[in-house]
Amino acid sequence: MGTLNLEALSFRYPGGGDAALEDVTLAIPAGRVFGLLGPNGAGKTTLISILAGQLRGATGRISADGETLEALRRRRPHTLGLVPQEYAFYPMLTCAENLRFFGAMQGLAGTRLKERIAAAAAFARIENVLSRRAGRLSGGLKRRLNLAIGLLGEPEILLLDEPTVGVDPQSRAFLLESIRSLAAADRTILYTSHYMEEVEAICDHVAIIDHGRVLVSGELSEVTRDDSGLQELFMRLTHRSLRD
Amino acid sequence: MRRLLALWEKEYLALSRDVLGLAVLFLMPAAFIVVMSLALSDVFKGGAGRGTEFAVIATDGKFAKQLSERLAGDGFRPTSEPDKRGVLHATKPALTLIVPPGFEHALDTPPGKTDSAPALTLIADPVLPPMQLLAFKQRVLGVVLALRVSAMMRQAGIAVSADALDLKHAATLKVETIGNSGRPSSVQQNVPAWLIFGMFFVVMPISSLFVVERREGTLARLVSLRVPFSMLLLGKVGPYFVVNLMQAVLMLLAGRTLVPWFGGETLVFPARWDLLAAVTACTSFAAIGWGLLVAVCSRTLEQATVIGGVGNILAAAVGGIMVPRFVMPEAMQKLSEVSPMAWALDAFHAVILRGGGAADIAAPCAKLLALAAALFAAALWVHYRRRVLTSAQ
Repeated sequence: MGTLNLEALSFRYPGGGDAALEDVTLAIPAGRVFGLLGPNGAGKTTLISILAGQLRGATGRISADGETLEALRRRRPHTLGLVPQEYAFYPMLTCAENLRFFGAMQGLAGTRLKERIAAAAAFARIENVLSRRAGRLSGGLKRRLNLAIGLLGEPEILLLDEPTVGVDPQSRAFLLESIRSLAAADRTILYTSHYMEEVEAICDHVAIIDHGRVLVSGELSEVTRDDSGLQELFMRLTHRSLRD
Repeated sequence: MRRLLALWEKEYLALSRDVLGLAVLFLMPAAFIVVMSLALSDVFKGGAGRGTEFAVIATDGKFAKQLSERLAGDGFRPTSEPDKRGVLHATKPALTLIVPPGFEHALDTPPGKTDSAPALTLIADPVLPPMQLLAFKQRVLGVVLALRVSAMMRQAGIAVSADALDLKHAATLKVETIGNSGRPSSVQQNVPAWLIFGMFFVVMPISSLFVVERREGTLARLVSLRVPFSMLLLGKVGPYFVVNLMQAVLMLLAGRTLVPWFGGETLVFPARWDLLAAVTACTSFAAIGWGLLVAVCSRTLEQATVIGGVGNILAAAVGGIMVPRFVMPEAMQKLSEVSPMAWALDAFHAVILRGGGAADIAAPCAKLLALAAALFAAALWVHYRRRVLTSAQ
């Protein structure tokens, strides 16, 4: 998978006022973790939702390997994996049942499904809790199950929307390490977070957006050259006023 | 097909672990069937068929006894110990006939010789149904007429026994109704009625899980996996269709075993099981369609509960589930025709009550299927019109 290119992407919610995204142009390279930063309401989740195919009606172009993402996904339906910020699984099902269900929804079956469940569970280190109800897991285990589900189809593009919210430092360290290792396998990873230290720790490229516009984009070392760190750059660009 | 089966399995697992949802679907209609079949058993027997106690108070105890014996029957039973004259204690007896002094003597007087016999007084419990009161008044007038005729014949020298002039012996009147019975019995009304009510309550688990799926981002994740929304909706049809079939089997069994066990009458199973299955299937599709539309339209669990619950209760109240349609005034009977529960009840009655054929259930079943298709299409339309699946901003 080559670079994921977003060209002049714009989106407005039906009945909404201002554009949620306006003229967003980004190049998200493969084999790296791309950090997408922005205050609440900046448009991060909207951008991820458009890439994941949940929102329709965006203008502009999204492409990879010379073809549009839509065409690519039609050809290879499970090119893209999503790990949303919510616990997007069924709390009343066990971890194994959740993995089996979401695996089946990606067209996996039989031995292949079993292999992928075992691999994803091992990667997220949830093998020991597979028989437990997902709703009864700790916050850290829930996040790991969420990640495992996103990896079932071995996606080439992985969208991670604040995947470490509400977890303890140990689980966070494990998740960050895991995400870093995923990029090494030549995946294209888009990572959103409010935690600057996380982004500085695992991302090679970053973009800061606010009010649906890209304020800065590039390699982490380049964009922070004139500032003492990502936090200072972020505050300088997005200002200190409180957001909703 | 594999994905559809996975959706069905997921829905089945989720429902099987929802104890409250299962209770609503199975225990609630079963409880209603037993309670309502027993509570309304007298109402469905018809006006004079209900057990009603009466007393006759007269100065001549022998005459009072004679009147009591003649008035008894068809559900009217004399009390053994009449209340004090003119005083009706609590609600027993429901009817008290007071015979004034001299009434018996007046019966012996040929008509026209005196202005009239002293007036009888009938004291009635205010909660007694008007049809009951009317039936008893007719019995009193009939008995008095028989006594008058008897007296006249005796005066004319014609010997006739008192029993010969009893209304019961006046003629043999045989009532024949269409099918098994013209009007349903209590169990024939309440089993299909509360079964339908229970079937439509699949709206609760369908919409609740759907709202949770949307709120927790599961729906968004499924859409990101390119699962068509129509397939997500179809994923709910299979399991709840099975649930509805299970409800039908269990509720019919409740009418057959549970109601008689509590002292009610036994539900007689229809001869045409195929037609019963067809009616159940059509009702199920309409109920599931309603559930899907509520699920898609509701943004919160509260909305789903209120829209689904209140909608069901209104449809049941109008559709003759809670109150049989034959006791409704004409305007309400016409209004009830708009309720899908009334269509379903018509179809069930055609099979269970009237022993009807395919032609008898065709119209209500067609309406139920058309409604199911319309509701499914409306759910898809609402979804695509919103275009936005998540609350992402």
